[in-house]
Amino acid sequence: MKVKQSLVSAHHNYLVNNRVIPGFVMGDPGSKGDFYFLADFVLPGETTPRCSGRLFDEQGELLVEINWNRLGENPGNCVYRPVRGGFQVVSGAGEVLVAVRTQQFTNGYLTRLQGRAYDRSGSLRMETDGDNVRVDEDELAPLAGPYLEPFSGAARPADAS
Amino acid sequence: MRRVQSSDACGRVWVFGDYRNYFKNRVTLQLIARAKDLAGKLDTGVTVLLLGERVHQWAMEYVAHGADTVVVVDLPALKDYRAETYSGIMSQLVELYRPEIILGGATRFGRELFPRLAKRLDTGLSSDCVDLEIDPSDRGLVQITPAFGGELLAEIVCPNRRPQMATVHPGTFKELPHDASAVGCILYPELEIIPDERVEKIRSRPERDRETRLEDAPLVIVGGRGMGSKDQFETLFELADLLGAEVGATLPAIQAGWAAPDRLIGQTGRIVKPKLLISIGTSGALQYTAGIRGAETIIAINRDPKASIFRMADLGIVGDGRTIVGLLLEELRKRF
Amino acid sequence: MNIVVCIKQVPESPKLKMDRDRMTVIREGADSVINPLDCVALVAGVELRNQLGGEITVLSMGPPQTAGALREALAYGADRAILLSDPVFAGADTLATSHVLAAAISRLDVFPDLVLCGTHTIDSDTAHVGPQVAEELDLPQVCAVNEIFPEEDGLVVKRVEDGVLETLRVRLPALLTVSKELCAPGSLSLGGLSRAFSFGEVTCWDHRDLGLEPGEVGFEGSATWVVKLSSPPPRSKGEIVQGTSAVLCETLIRKLESLGILDEESAE
Repeated sequence: MKVKQSLVSAHHNYLVNNRVIPGFVMGDPGSKGDFYFLADFVLPGETTPRCSGRLFDEQGELLVEINWNRLGENPGNCVYRPVRGGFQVVSGAGEVLVAVRTQQFTNGYLTRLQGRAYDRSGSLRMETDGDNVRVDEDELAPLAGPYLEPFSGAARPADAS
Repeated sequence: MRRVQSSDACGRVWVFGDYRNYFKNRVTLQLIARAKDLAGKLDTGVTVLLLGERVHQWAMEYVAHGADTVVVVDLPALKDYRAETYSGIMSQLVELYRPEIILGGATRFGRELFPRLAKRLDTGLSSDCVDLEIDPSDRGLVQITPAFGGELLAEIVCPNRRPQMATVHPGTFKELPHDASAVGCILYPELEIIPDERVEKIRSRPERDRETRLEDAPLVIVGGRGMGSKDQFETLFELADLLGAEVGATLPAIQAGWAAPDRLIGQTGRIVKPKLLISIGTSGALQYTAGIRGAETIIAINRDPKASIFRMADLGIVGDGRTIVGLLLEELRKRF
Repeated sequence: MNIVVCIKQVPESPKLKMDRDRMTVIREGADSVINPLDCVALVAGVELRNQLGGEITVLSMGPPQTAGALREALAYGADRAILLSDPVFAGADTLATSHVLAAAISRLDVFPDLVLCGTHTIDSDTAHVGPQVAEELDLPQVCAVNEIFPEEDGLVVKRVEDGVLETLRVRLPALLTVSKELCAPGSLSLGGLSRAFSFGEVTCWDHRDLGLEPGEVGFEGSATWVVKLSSPPPRSKGEIVQGTSAVLCETLIRKLESLGILDEESAE
């Protein structure tokens, strides 16, 4: 029997591959120009997720950088659109690159990610699957606490909420 | 922050996670708390089994309340609780992880699922336990349950088969506080599931809301056979109004029609844990006292100085409950 | 519809004698009756049989005097009674009991369409045996049923499950356990009773008839053992007061005051 294993936080988790996970990294957030996506661990007291990433289009052209839920470099003229419980980043062509929505229930928070993002070589790295996102299991590094490794974007804000 | 190493990913003390009616039905959380004590003595962890559809949030709640690991099987076919399907899945998980102990709430569903699962696993089960211990000599689970009409407590063991299974009445143990900083392990086994469709739900609707809130009441007055009549029993409601209490009843009082059946206190009724419980005209049969053991203070009023209720009373008043309630009501009406 | 009803003979009085070596109840000599919920199952079975035809077989595991309960079941209207009695069946927990009942059901000439049991017994109250017989026979189960409606290809049943009223369709064969709300056992006519006692025939099967080994039944075949029986420990050394009602009421008020129950805010 195959068993998938991950961590779960009592306070906040992301829903990825139909599983909860307190935080995860894809790619290397320390790299200067490559694809990455970071869904950072959310500490008790914080109520919003912290997402960062460098996203490309099918041709491997940089579309946008996201730094802690805000747009950074934006050669693709992407648009930041607040939605209920979170935000979307929409490409110039009108396609949703990333949608982040947090739902509160009982005593905790669950963030659902959706979107469609490519890396520098034009390979598909994340894709919407129902109410969450599907990524390659082997590329997903789970986080059990806030991400403290080298990071090419802005410093982590003290409290994004 | 607590981190869980993958080597002890699945602890060997299991709790069946029943999340239905979560805010009122806390039995799963109560069992997690007790399972933690038991697991500590066995050098293992607590695992909650969570079956259903879209159950992620409950996994978080169980970790917040002390579970080390949650095993999740999340499928649309598991939306309705069915003993046949659930016992099939749980037996596969037992084969995979070999738990020592499986605990569940003695809810209606628990009492339907656990016997079936125990049979499938060819192991022992005890029902409606009032306490659980680990025997230090053989590390076996001692299951303490009222026996023989409630006269005695039986210690039951399951020496030669595993897992050891028990159901526990809601309210028997105390849940741990919510810890938002807890991090646990979550396992998603990919199971072959053949849903059992021989029983099909046509419709369901909630039973009308129960009016009483006995389980949460800080002050409970319980009347028994010694109240003598429905009219006399009614005076307890008046007393309860003046004191801000809830009224419960023993089986004889309910059988006599003096109180609604949902006020039954005891092993087959509600288990209460008030700060103060006043027990009036009750003899103290174990069936009843199993439901009041958690009271901080017990005052008992009974005419019979040998009544067994006095064995557990902090203050025992030997006298006629009807007269004393009458006098107390007079005095309280003067005060308030 | 062919129906099996499982019944248990239980002591009428809650005061029991114990076999302290085996930690089991001594049933001999006690006044015994059919477990009340099993009577409900029996009456429900008779109603279904009268409506739909077929036969009712009543099964009970117990010592030889359990034949009395089975004759009573014949008086209720059962067609056939089988006593499962053997010294090696003694001391069984619910796992071993359900094994014997399931073995007997699968040995019947015709496998039943429906197995009925009471939800629980008044003497042990485990409510295990119904679901465990269902599991061993691979039957679907519905517990604590309070209404049964026959349909062309099965039954529609109602029950209360943890605060939800459920209506379920059950394919046959199936096992149901019944709650006391299903129906009130009708009073037996004396004619029926005396007929049962004079003509009622009770077949007896032992472990060989069932094809079972002694090691898989009774005390030997049980998973759980009772290792200790004790009176519940006294909770605390409380204070016991006697006197006139006025004095006692005064004592009570002082106690309530000391606990802060009569403070003004608690009177809200």
